[in-house]
Amino acid sequence: MNAQSSTRIRLGVVALGKIPEILPKSIAAHISGYLNLNTDVLPSRELPSYAFKRERLQYDAGIILKHLEQEHLPNYEKIIAVVAVDLFVPIFTHVFGEAKQGGKCGLVSVYRLNDEQDDSAPLPPLLLERAAKVSLHETGHLLNLVHCTDGRCLMHFSGKLADLDGMPLYFCRYCGAYLRDFLKQ
Amino acid sequence: MNEKMSILIVDDERIIRESFFHWFEKSGHMVDTASSGPKALEKLEKLPFELLFVDIKMPGMNGIELLGRVKEEYPDTIVIIMTAYGSIETAVTAMKLGASDYLLKPFKPDQLSLVMEKVFHQHRLASEYHYLKAQLEEKTRFDNIIGQSPPMEDIFKIIPEVAVSESSVLILGETGTGKELVAKAIHAKSRRSNGPFMAINCGAIPDTLLESELFGHQKGAFTGAVNHRKGLLEVVSGGTLFLDEIGEISPKMQVDLLRVLEEKKITRIGERAPIDVDFRLVSATRRDLEKEVAEREFREDFYYRVNVIIIHIPPLRKRREDIPLLAEHFLQKYCHETTKKVDHISRDATAVLTDYDWPGNVRELENALERAVVLSKSRTLGVEDFSFLNPTFSPVSGRRSLREMEKEYIQEIWAECGWNVTKASRILDINRVTLHKMIKRYGLKRPAS
Repeated sequence: MNAQSSTRIRLGVVALGKIPEILPKSIAAHISGYLNLNTDVLPSRELPSYAFKRERLQYDAGIILKHLEQEHLPNYEKIIAVVAVDLFVPIFTHVFGEAKQGGKCGLVSVYRLNDEQDDSAPLPPLLLERAAKVSLHETGHLLNLVHCTDGRCLMHFSGKLADLDGMPLYFCRYCGAYLRDFLKQ
Repeated sequence: MNEKMSILIVDDERIIRESFFHWFEKSGHMVDTASSGPKALEKLEKLPFELLFVDIKMPGMNGIELLGRVKEEYPDTIVIIMTAYGSIETAVTAMKLGASDYLLKPFKPDQLSLVMEKVFHQHRLASEYHYLKAQLEEKTRFDNIIGQSPPMEDIFKIIPEVAVSESSVLILGETGTGKELVAKAIHAKSRRSNGPFMAINCGAIPDTLLESELFGHQKGAFTGAVNHRKGLLEVVSGGTLFLDEIGEISPKMQVDLLRVLEEKKITRIGERAPIDVDFRLVSATRRDLEKEVAEREFREDFYYRVNVIIIHIPPLRKRREDIPLLAEHFLQKYCHETTKKVDHISRDATAVLTDYDWPGNVRELENALERAVVLSKSRTLGVEDFSFLNPTFSPVSGRRSLREMEKEYIQEIWAECGWNVTKASRILDINRVTLHKMIKRYGLKRPAS
């Protein structure tokens, strides 16, 4: 992705709750590198506890997004929040991330991205790659992109880790062209 | 990038509707929501939604009732049923009523992707089906046979009546009158319309080859039979076989076909085991078969087997009122094919076309229009654009001399025989050399096209 004049959009990456420090940094570096956006890692914030739903033992992604939109973050047009909890939307059992098309805030959960059961082990590189893919996908939605039918495009919807791993860190030429045009505006 | 669909979400729970809405919006679809069955029906009346996600448990009209109504009123709409409380009975009922899938809420994200893949596939197949069906109807539809003259009106009336029966049909008419079009229309209107329609010109194929074409052969049955081959009588099973120029079939082949028509079985050349076949026979000829039967040149039993119903298509010169209509149709056809801008045919040119005798009938008229459109330099076809038509055969008012009548008759028979001098000389009962001399003497010429 080679966006030349995208310096107007500033994107903040924020951790909600307890998250290994390297994750927001890695996500910010990927977004900055692939989309050429001005990206900052913001101080972490509290995860809103009211988003937790007892009947599902998961956090409602929609409620977290609404909470985030009301937070005071005036210097950033777009926000990507990273959480370590399990997320859901009402129709799905779980989601890796959530963002409204053209919205301000996107959400990425690393809860289901880590195959390693041992929490004390260092973060595997694969987890960072997966988190980067989900973050770029959700950022794509914030920049108005829709899902892509090309299975080798970052904007393709993936519901399973196997699909996510099979997808290269790459926007197809149509989505890439759309992003270039969008960021030029 | 994406296959876009118009989707309606019907669920009484707002958060479910919203969740679906955002997900499908992110996939680029046109999506709307309804909170109840009646509201969904109201929206369907206004917009043709292609896909519905319907929750079963809703107050008032439940999802199963809504499914029934939608499938009754909009059978092409794809419906996916979903519920939080699944049971085998409701799943079976939903599928029986025409639901394409049944989902338990909440579903795994990839489950919805798989359902959407299935929906796209179904949608593509339906679109292809409608497109191909329209193409087929375009090719075979009845109104492809153009005419408003009383004899053509009679033919239009008889085609649907004939189509519903299984009887053999014999279509009589001069060359170029559109016998195959009538055969196709009969097939298209019959219960066999989903089966194949196969046409074979018996006059164009040598007898031995015709046998192999119709009956098929076993590998090695004769020199050159290097593979097994199914015959047309087998391939056309379930459909309609159109035998054009049936009068050209040899007596031996008439016997073989008669047996097939009676027993509904065939045996491939070189094989012993008979195979069941099921086809409807429509045949056509420009010859006077009744006369040939009387002269014992055509088998009587075969003749009565193929002519259960006779349709006679009159030559174009006997329905001159159809000529302007046909000319206009071919003008549009060839303007479209050649992308030439020729708007209309002048009144004088129309009169020339109407007066001409058209020995080659509609086919000759079509060729004439094609030639005129291709060579035309203006937007209107005038008399000069049809100068290639032989003016000696325009109707001569008043009494005609014997010489004129002879000249006209020779031209007519020669055209009927596809400009084959040997065949024409046989009908005229004169020597080939004599016929050649007469053609030269009268300055007769076959049409250039």
